[in-house]
Amino acid sequence: MSRQHIRLTTINFPMVLRVVGWLLMIEGAFLVLPLMACAAYGETDMEAFAISAVATALTGLLMTFGIRPSRTDMGKREGFLLTALVWVFFSAFGMLPFMLCSHPLELSDAFFEAMSGFTTTGASALTSVEMFSHGILLWRCLMQWIGGMGIILFTLAVIPMLNHSGGMQMFNAEVTGITHDKLRPRISQTAKGLWFLYFLLTAILTLLLWIGPMDFFDSLCHAFSSISTGGYSTRDDSIGAWNSAYVKLVITIFMFLGGVNFGLMYKAMHGNLRCFWRNDVFKAYIRIILVFYIFFVIAIVGRGQVTDLSSFTLDPLFQIISTITSTGLTVNNFESWGTFVLALLFLLMFFGSCAGSTSGGAKIDRILFLLKNSGNEVYRCIHPNTMMSVRINDKVIAPDVVSKVIAFLCIYVMIIAAGGILLTAFNIPLVDAFFSSFSCVSNTGLGTGVTGYGESYAIIPSSGKWVLSLLMLTGRLEIFTVLLLFTPGFWRK
Amino acid sequence: MKIVIAGAGEVGSHLAKLLSKEEQDVILVDADAEKLAAIDANYNLMTNCGSPTSFTVLSEAGVAQCDLFIAVTPFETTNVIACSIAKNLGAKKTVARIDNYEFMEQRNSAFFNALGVNNLIYPEYLAAKEILTSLERTWVRTWFDIHDGELTVVGVKIRDNAPLCGMQLKDLAASGHNFHVAAIRRRNETIIPRGDDRIIHNDILYFTTTRDHIENIREMCGKRQVNIRKVLVMGGSRIAVRLAAIAGDRYKFKIIDIDRQRCVKLCERCPDAKIVNGDARDIDTLDEEGIDDMDAFIALTDRSETNILASLTAKEHGIKKTIAEVEDLQFISPAENLNIGTIVNKKLLASSTIFQMLLATDSSSSKFLALADADVAEIEVRAGSKITRGPVRSLRLSRDVTIAGLIRDGRGMLVTGQTVIEPGDHVVVFCLSGTIHKIERLFG
Repeated sequence: MSRQHIRLTTINFPMVLRVVGWLLMIEGAFLVLPLMACAAYGETDMEAFAISAVATALTGLLMTFGIRPSRTDMGKREGFLLTALVWVFFSAFGMLPFMLCSHPLELSDAFFEAMSGFTTTGASALTSVEMFSHGILLWRCLMQWIGGMGIILFTLAVIPMLNHSGGMQMFNAEVTGITHDKLRPRISQTAKGLWFLYFLLTAILTLLLWIGPMDFFDSLCHAFSSISTGGYSTRDDSIGAWNSAYVKLVITIFMFLGGVNFGLMYKAMHGNLRCFWRNDVFKAYIRIILVFYIFFVIAIVGRGQVTDLSSFTLDPLFQIISTITSTGLTVNNFESWGTFVLALLFLLMFFGSCAGSTSGGAKIDRILFLLKNSGNEVYRCIHPNTMMSVRINDKVIAPDVVSKVIAFLCIYVMIIAAGGILLTAFNIPLVDAFFSSFSCVSNTGLGTGVTGYGESYAIIPSSGKWVLSLLMLTGRLEIFTVLLLFTPGFWRK
Repeated sequence: MKIVIAGAGEVGSHLAKLLSKEEQDVILVDADAEKLAAIDANYNLMTNCGSPTSFTVLSEAGVAQCDLFIAVTPFETTNVIACSIAKNLGAKKTVARIDNYEFMEQRNSAFFNALGVNNLIYPEYLAAKEILTSLERTWVRTWFDIHDGELTVVGVKIRDNAPLCGMQLKDLAASGHNFHVAAIRRRNETIIPRGDDRIIHNDILYFTTTRDHIENIREMCGKRQVNIRKVLVMGGSRIAVRLAAIAGDRYKFKIIDIDRQRCVKLCERCPDAKIVNGDARDIDTLDEEGIDDMDAFIALTDRSETNILASLTAKEHGIKKTIAEVEDLQFISPAENLNIGTIVNKKLLASSTIFQMLLATDSSSSKFLALADADVAEIEVRAGSKITRGPVRSLRLSRDVTIAGLIRDGRGMLVTGQTVIEPGDHVVVFCLSGTIHKIERLFG
């Protein structure tokens, strides 16, 4: 008891690395899944996955049992560092199959692809995916699935070792949103609850897709990448390849669910259905979708693009939900809808959906805070003595939380701008540079094709890909976790 | 086990942290969001912001499914009402912190049960009892009777003059003494000692022994028993009032308090004690009140620092027994290393009482004592539990757990490596903080 009051001044590196080792063993286990797919389809990439899985698991094993930390305590710093490191390590080992497969990628492409996978960005450095083996395709989608709910959260659910206050720090560093609502008293129970729900949704989606025109493999891959709002596909034409309204509808619904706060869905699953309608953020999520839908329809009708029923019902809805949840899938005829729609998409990308979901972006929660606070400030101009509060979900939000949110949004915009400026240094046209940076920070991964610059991210020079990888990680861990590591105060005693 | 704690004050948050470390499901409820935020971000528990007496807040916290509801806000009325609500919502067991001796009386217990309050804890009363025990036995720092005194746990500070000092524990065992050194507190940590550990100057040793051998320990520690008669109390806190009330006429109390209003109240509440209005930090005041004639000095002001320093000053004046109330947990270790006789902490006393209740629901009978970072528990052994499988030596106990003694058929005895523990025995276990769950495994 008396010891817990002595604050740590130096970072417990051995312990951090040891935990990373543990997590790598889990990644090694995940790599077995695409290995099995390769075996089932009799593909040569089996070897690549076997090597990757063994290398990953072995490194993990060595780090876990080779490192003997003298202290086992982990504080705030270790929590943040560990979370950021885990994501980097996962991507570093997750890229191995891409480099060893039958169409090997170079280092920067492979890392970009892996980071884009784990952060559920879905931006791809590949020009065509169809030439790759089933194993590679499954691995891309599986990475998104793991990253969608969170690597740490998964670990908290399966490894009891982290079920202490150190695990708490990591949970806070990884889970999105302003306040991190716990569902159950112990962190492992919360993690288990969330992952169970995630697993359940994935299973349902797989089944629904399988019933439709897709085969089992494609259903599984698309289930992985849709519920995680990642957006990788097994076809070059993405889900347009099936040309099926059913597939589009099912995926739209599940992308939508992927953008809802999982804590809220967990409560609903336990019989508290009304909690949806009492939640301001969820209501705002629905309203934003509806308002944008009206705008989209006006734009589509205005440009005379109404060809069939789906072109003004399902297509715009699909596009809106795909963008707001940061999935980043596009419908085929989307370029013909005009610049106004493109501008609206930028706004959606910025919003993102609910905090605590698998989506990216700045999160509607924060936008709501900002809007309500701005409204208060404007009102105060003429009524300076009014006492006002920002009230969300019937709870008054403390002023310091509001200021933290505003700081977040400012830094968020600054990082997008900084990323864009940096990319122009690699001879990428201005608009495309800023768009790529925006798309990666918000983990949307809409192709640069949207702005007319090349088909995929393959065209970006390798140094630019490293920058984008960092931006994706920064966006996924909601800025502060990564930014903190670049401040001298973090490392100093 | 699911535990809801209402009130994130000192006792509440301390309990919440402790229980969360013991791997219990803890939900902490308080109306103050700021108090909760710090705990929520750093500990493996859930917090719920809202009034502890609100039906909505308590149902949201899941009181209906909880095994234990603990109300430890600063106000006893709030606590009683919160418990009553919790019980009606479905809590299995409720505990309220109170500050009124009347509530504790046996004849009123039926009333509280009817209200839905199963247990009451009264930290000030516990502290006063603790002080009284240490006034009776001036040479010990901690005294803890188990099973009506069949076994006793005694904490003693060892100095150079003790015959024990410098001995290795295995030599001690070989010389055939009838006590067992269960734990050693050395500087800032507690050690569960092994045979080759050596006792050194300034260690605090925790012995377990049977009734007849306590004198033996006192001699081995080189201590003398002093009879206390005149006691100077600094600070007329609630503990002081309670102390004066339960001590009766065994001691002559003189209470010094700085606040005039409070002194007037004290006169009313403590008819047998002498009340002095003055600043006990002032040496002239102390001299005037005859500090040199006093047998014991008890510092009970709200400030731990003042209590510690005042006790040291009193010691310099030749007072044989000093007792200080230290409420800041981080000050306990340094204070123990200083020359202060006994340290009292309401929080630890309250939490040990609650732990005792917790264990009582698990095993049929148990007692509990929280030291600074170790715990002592008395647990009844059930048939078929792991601990009965062979002699203690062969059990390969974890290094942070030791079996300090046992009570068989109502008689206390010490445990050696050859002892085989039988079902029905009451075993006294010492363990370091955060390892209670290991013990549960051993006895499950």
